[in-house]
Amino acid sequence: MKKMKKEAMWAYVFILVPLCTFIVFTLYPVISAAVISFQKYRPLGSEWVGLDNYINTFKNGLFYKALKNTLVYSIITVPVSMLLSFMISIMILPFRKKLQSVFKAAFYLPAIASGVALSFVWKWIYDPLPSGLLNNVVKVFGLSNQNWLGSQKTAMLSLIIMAVFAGLGQNIIIYTAALLGIDSTYYEAADIDGATFFQKVRYVVWPIVKPTTVFLTITGVINGFQSFQNAYLMTGGGPDNATTMAGLLIFNRAFTYFEYGEACAQALILAAIIAVFAVLQFKLSSGDVEY
Amino acid sequence: MKRKKMAALGMAAVMTLSSLAAGCGGTDKGGSSSASGTAAEGKKDVVTALLPPVSATYQDKINTYIEDFNKENPDIEIKVTTASWEDVTQKLDVQVNAGSPPDIAFIGSSGVTKYLDTDMAVDISKYLEEDQINDFDENVLNYFKNQEGLYGLPAYCEIQCIGGNRELLETAGIDWKAVQKDGWTYDEFREAIKKGVVKEGDQIKTYGFLFACAGVTAKDYFGIFVKNAGMPEAFDKDLKYAYTSKQMLTFLEDLRALIDDGSMPKELGSIDAGKRWNMMLTGQTMITGKGLSSFEKSAYENTEKLKNNDGSAVEGSIPVEYVVLPVPVFEGGNQQAQGAVDGYICLTGEKNPDEQHLKNVAKVAYYLASSERAAQTCQELYLKPVCESGRTAYEKLPPIENKNEDNTKAVESLTTQIAEARPDIPADKGAAAIKIQDEVIMPKFQGLLAGEVTPEEMYQAIVDAGHAAFGEAGCVSDES
Repeated sequence: MKKMKKEAMWAYVFILVPLCTFIVFTLYPVISAAVISFQKYRPLGSEWVGLDNYINTFKNGLFYKALKNTLVYSIITVPVSMLLSFMISIMILPFRKKLQSVFKAAFYLPAIASGVALSFVWKWIYDPLPSGLLNNVVKVFGLSNQNWLGSQKTAMLSLIIMAVFAGLGQNIIIYTAALLGIDSTYYEAADIDGATFFQKVRYVVWPIVKPTTVFLTITGVINGFQSFQNAYLMTGGGPDNATTMAGLLIFNRAFTYFEYGEACAQALILAAIIAVFAVLQFKLSSGDVEY
Repeated sequence: MKRKKMAALGMAAVMTLSSLAAGCGGTDKGGSSSASGTAAEGKKDVVTALLPPVSATYQDKINTYIEDFNKENPDIEIKVTTASWEDVTQKLDVQVNAGSPPDIAFIGSSGVTKYLDTDMAVDISKYLEEDQINDFDENVLNYFKNQEGLYGLPAYCEIQCIGGNRELLETAGIDWKAVQKDGWTYDEFREAIKKGVVKEGDQIKTYGFLFACAGVTAKDYFGIFVKNAGMPEAFDKDLKYAYTSKQMLTFLEDLRALIDDGSMPKELGSIDAGKRWNMMLTGQTMITGKGLSSFEKSAYENTEKLKNNDGSAVEGSIPVEYVVLPVPVFEGGNQQAQGAVDGYICLTGEKNPDEQHLKNVAKVAYYLASSERAAQTCQELYLKPVCESGRTAYEKLPPIENKNEDNTKAVESLTTQIAEARPDIPADKGAAAIKIQDEVIMPKFQGLLAGEVTPEEMYQAIVDAGHAAFGEAGCVSDES
């Protein structure tokens, strides 16, 4: 009993460190943000404004446009990225372990590269002049020069393409791990039943990796809703707010206009929307998932 | 075993304490100045300053400046934190929002209202001597005023205009000296840049005019040009929102026409400042914007590198002699120049400094903005100082070699045409206008440049936003 107490004490001591870190760097900011969302924040003395910040947010047309942009961005980026990752993972799987690692490392490379550096490279790819890399590529197919980031027609698509390619690596690593965990007896049984490659993917692989898919969908949507960096660095939200995401709107509200109260209100509304989406996805897609 | 456990416990305690300390590290107030100025007798009053690289050698020279000041003022100590141009605003904003800004920060005067709104900007007019205030050119000093308060001192006034490649201008038959002297109308400018377009087959080899308009830089194009379209400020003298005037519609149609003519690239909205300058040096444009007088130095240095076969010259660049040019005048407008007035704003925070400390802050701000400091900084930026003491010191400096005298005269002339500062605009109105600019004008302007928003649509959006923010009676209406 005494030994148990001693061990528990050590457990508590070591839990204390991350717990304190969590309280100071996560819980405290979230609670502070909630408090500030009801204030007109001023460094030398804030004043309570009740629900004004929330009312202003709901009255602001740009907030809805930003939400719509974020939704479009997430709805396209997440499934496309997952489908590509799933396909690439399946293609990688038959290779020897070493070759698998080479592919995984190659696809994971963008995830470890600085987002700012990647943005610079993508800006070069999207160079609007005829000398731009992508414009040279589309010219081969007989298409005219495109103003990729400067046109409302292509700006969002350009950001989505960039996000899909930059985010593949992480999904591939997780999918490959899940695929490697499938017992070979399932494939053998499918072979005996005469299943084709696509039937094996449809009836063996896909159901087994469903927990992974659910996990990637939920985290992907959360990341999509919180996306900020690409729009901030590549388009600044333009043209005509076609790429203003909720994250960028919140950033601008706080750091351009010093309206921290409204920014906090917007951030909390966004958090609530993300939570609803996450719960819905979990309920809809994880009914038959076993962990 | 016991020792190991003790060590582990010690480590855990240290980590816990350090994380707590990091999270609660607000008591030091960012190492800012002593709160009570000269509270403790015999103790030096510390004045803190946050400074970006104002000119190429500014951050090197600042230590000498401080050393000299500290010697002459044994009761005051200046402590400087330097930051890059990219970081300085963010650093300052973080400190402001923590309630502990530096006593002095180098910012653009357009940021005065922003810090005024936080109640942290200090009115230094009562801490400065009259001759110190009178040292500065009145209109330039007014850029740091709001209502009756003076919140900072200007270091320089940079003329934001446009600039051309001399050889290409002359090839196109443009009398650039006359333009420098007399300015030009929109129609003259439009014709000139049409002549500057050089084609190779279907491809345009050289554009007549190019302005960096990617993201927020579009703000400069709009802001600099609108001054010459009869709307030098967002508010007229009666404090009515001016951009709802019909002149705005004509102005927008004129800007769009320059792209439709083929004189400017249709991809303008994606060309950033770096690419714009690169295109200037590689001969892909005859006239560039925005132009600063210091670009003459940059172009000259690149040309020298080319002459000396220096590999660090811009790839594909050609010798360029940079010519300062004024912005054209639109119908209903007058020749004016956009002056970017930057300088030293004075701030206070939770530390509640005493009067003596604030007096010391004002003294340091004046020291940094005047005499040799102003002269040396301005000379490096190819500008004339904006204070008398600076001009006196400037005359004693060795003259700049290889300076284009026509450019010098043009900049001096443009300096006299700087749009009048508007300290009469109340901070809340100014903030509302900035919000319309950022949330309506700039997004629509990007759409206009991309050819996806018509001038009429953009104008209507401005009118709607103006009416929503200031009421119809608070906006200029051409019908009335």
